[in-house]
Amino acid sequence: MTVFILRRLLQSAGVLLATSVIVFLGVYAIGNPADILIAADATQLERQSAIVALGLDRPLIEQYWIFLSNALRGDFGRSFVFNQPAISLILARLPATLELALVALIIALVVGIPLGLVSGLKPNTLVDETIMTGSILGFSLPNFWQGMMLIMIFSVWLGWLPAGGRGDTAQVLGITTSLLSWDGLTHLILPATNLALFNLALVIRLTRTGVREIMPLDFIKFARAKGLTERRIVLVHVLKNIMIPVVTVVGMEFGSIIAFAVVTETIFSWPGIGKLLIDSIMLLDRPVVVSYLLVVVFMFVIINLLVDIAYSLLDPRIRLRDTQ
Amino acid sequence: MPMLRKLLLGLALSSCLTTASMAVDLTVGSSTEPAAIDPHFSRSGNSQQIAAQVFNRLVEPDENLQIQPGLAVSWTNLDELTWEVKLREGVTFHDGSPFTAEDVVFSLERADEIPNSPAPFTANVAPIASMEIVDPLTIRFTTTKPTPQFMELTGMVYIVSKAAAEGASIEAFNSGEAAIGTGPYKFVSWTPGDHYKLTLNETYWGEAPEFENVTYRLMSNSAARVAALLAGDVDLIDSVPPGDVATLEASDGIQVHSAPSGRIIYLGLDSARDESPFIIGPDGAPLNPNPLKDVRVRQAMSKMIDRQLLIDRVLSGAGMPAGQLAPIGLGGHSTSLQPDQIDLEAAKALLAEAGFPDGFGITIHSSNDRFPGDGDIAQALGQLFQRGGLTVNGVVTQPYNVYATAAGKQEFSAFIFSFGTSTPSAAPGMTNVLMTFDEEAGTGSFNRMRYSNPDYDAAMRDALAEFDPAARNRKLEIAAEIVFGDYAILPLYWPEVTWASRDGIGYVANVSEDTLATYASVTE
Repeated sequence: MTVFILRRLLQSAGVLLATSVIVFLGVYAIGNPADILIAADATQLERQSAIVALGLDRPLIEQYWIFLSNALRGDFGRSFVFNQPAISLILARLPATLELALVALIIALVVGIPLGLVSGLKPNTLVDETIMTGSILGFSLPNFWQGMMLIMIFSVWLGWLPAGGRGDTAQVLGITTSLLSWDGLTHLILPATNLALFNLALVIRLTRTGVREIMPLDFIKFARAKGLTERRIVLVHVLKNIMIPVVTVVGMEFGSIIAFAVVTETIFSWPGIGKLLIDSIMLLDRPVVVSYLLVVVFMFVIINLLVDIAYSLLDPRIRLRDTQ
Repeated sequence: MPMLRKLLLGLALSSCLTTASMAVDLTVGSSTEPAAIDPHFSRSGNSQQIAAQVFNRLVEPDENLQIQPGLAVSWTNLDELTWEVKLREGVTFHDGSPFTAEDVVFSLERADEIPNSPAPFTANVAPIASMEIVDPLTIRFTTTKPTPQFMELTGMVYIVSKAAAEGASIEAFNSGEAAIGTGPYKFVSWTPGDHYKLTLNETYWGEAPEFENVTYRLMSNSAARVAALLAGDVDLIDSVPPGDVATLEASDGIQVHSAPSGRIIYLGLDSARDESPFIIGPDGAPLNPNPLKDVRVRQAMSKMIDRQLLIDRVLSGAGMPAGQLAPIGLGGHSTSLQPDQIDLEAAKALLAEAGFPDGFGITIHSSNDRFPGDGDIAQALGQLFQRGGLTVNGVVTQPYNVYATAAGKQEFSAFIFSFGTSTPSAAPGMTNVLMTFDEEAGTGSFNRMRYSNPDYDAAMRDALAEFDPAARNRKLEIAAEIVFGDYAILPLYWPEVTWASRDGIGYVANVSEDTLATYASVTE
């Protein structure tokens, strides 16, 4: 297993290098940041000095080389827009997104698994069909529209919850979080729900399918014959077996939630990294875009690894091998 | 029990009343975010919004962009190259230290030395050859060449405290440690992507600020801003999308504040080259000679545009038809330049006269995320040109980050752009958009058409060398008449900018598009 993990980490270094080249070239191909960042009434003199200040007067290959050699020393460059280290901008925004993604994931699991179980255990009943229809809505309603509707209903009409922003935050072990204050929590509910809905639908469907597949299997019949209670059969034997697909998909989805919560973060003015990414792309803030995607690629590599390890813990039949 | 309840109610009420009689707080839903708190780091509008409240300038623009005394109370030319500026007495910085000529000299020297600044104040301080402190409240400036618009340029640089800002890093400003100004509000904190906070400066030299604490919530999404205002989360929002103005006006408890902006939306025409990539003949190849070189063709195109219709249908009426760059009220606005009315007969005649009775093929380009309605305006223009007798081969809209670079490289033939004026006169726009593209002379930096007219350039040089403001404006008008008579660009409209607030909060809608707490007021 150690060899397996080491090999995985080595491969990821290659992936990171390839990503940096592609993104660097991609942002370069879009346009010239100086055209976006200069003052609206800039003179020739100012435009030229901006290009020099941002290091854009050098050949592309030299710009990349400077980036790469600095990156190897842990310096990912300074943001063109904010003139702050790109990586610290990203890390400063990361807790907000992680918190949002985590709460969304918990909502998806805590609500989704029981609903999926009910649905799977009582197939083709009214309850099942209601839940299934609901999950279709979760899948197919655009995220953006869902968010606007949540705001319209709960903030504008009912006035129960704030329409956006992060609210009061507290510092715990150097990390800023909204989980510890009432105001922070109220700000979190709507965006987390918005982000959770798609995954909630996904979890319901995965759980239902899993239950439907496992219920007719021999070991369930055997458990019944042995005289185990229905409760024990469902909560221990069925649940454990349906967790493998759920863990895989949710693991991958968790990565996506963190990396691409752009829509939710924009609608709810949530100060996370998704909003930072979209703003940086608009302004061609190359150091931030490149560093962001490197962070995301790294994160996906780690999540994949954790998912693989979680497999082997959930299902003893699966062994992590160093496949050649 | 009822006694107790009454007592409690009374207490609660009285506590409400006492807080109400004290200063009020203001929460703003802002569409833009500063790049840094250091006022010299970026001259672009989003960073100026916070700087304009925490810091002062030698002269301050009013809501019509005309300059008023700020930290300078008076200025005179001793000769063409020398300016003597008298500073305001008794002004103190937020940390209590007095404001003196030392701070001005320090700020002006610092303004073009900010590392990695993408939009420095270089051009603002470029005229200065030397500065001499005559006494703590008098400075004598010598300029490198006669600079009539000296105060409009150099006077617009923010004045920081020498003691606080000397050697300070951008982080020291962002944390507030070095962000010490003389402005009506003091900087409190900034959480990037979320909000920044200001608090009133009790010892402000000018009109006392109305709000105790001001919070700017950063909401780049327009729908989110409108929802936050409707939900009562914020008191004031800016950049209300034109499509939402009617809804907000109809809502209870919401007020809408609109003003025409100093931003011109125009169609640039690639009129300098013999062949233009998207002006094509029936065979699909670029026409040579390029019809856009002919002023009659450009005039014909202007007469195909129903400007009022564009504004009514695409912008829900939020704009004013334009026939020149400067709106009424700005220096350089000529009353004789009226927007062209739609006249298809005349357009047809002009096209025939120019040798294109059957028109020609054209593709229109535009950004789609730069200002409200930019992509839709391009679509509508396409239809108007088709109706006017041209063959519109397509309307292409792109995100601004792609579009701006491509337009700068002359990749388009007919393209929509905007230029925002934030100075008392239209001189910067008339210099940067319309004068000959010339890196040496520093003119025409946004002349993406590469339009070049020696008569106009001469008229502009004459205007820019004029020291008397009234005479300069008259000369700018003459230059405007030359260049718009030649249809160098086709001005379309000046959009209205709109703010919305809850009842009880007033706002001075301003030409400069600034969202400042100093423009907001309590109206109850």
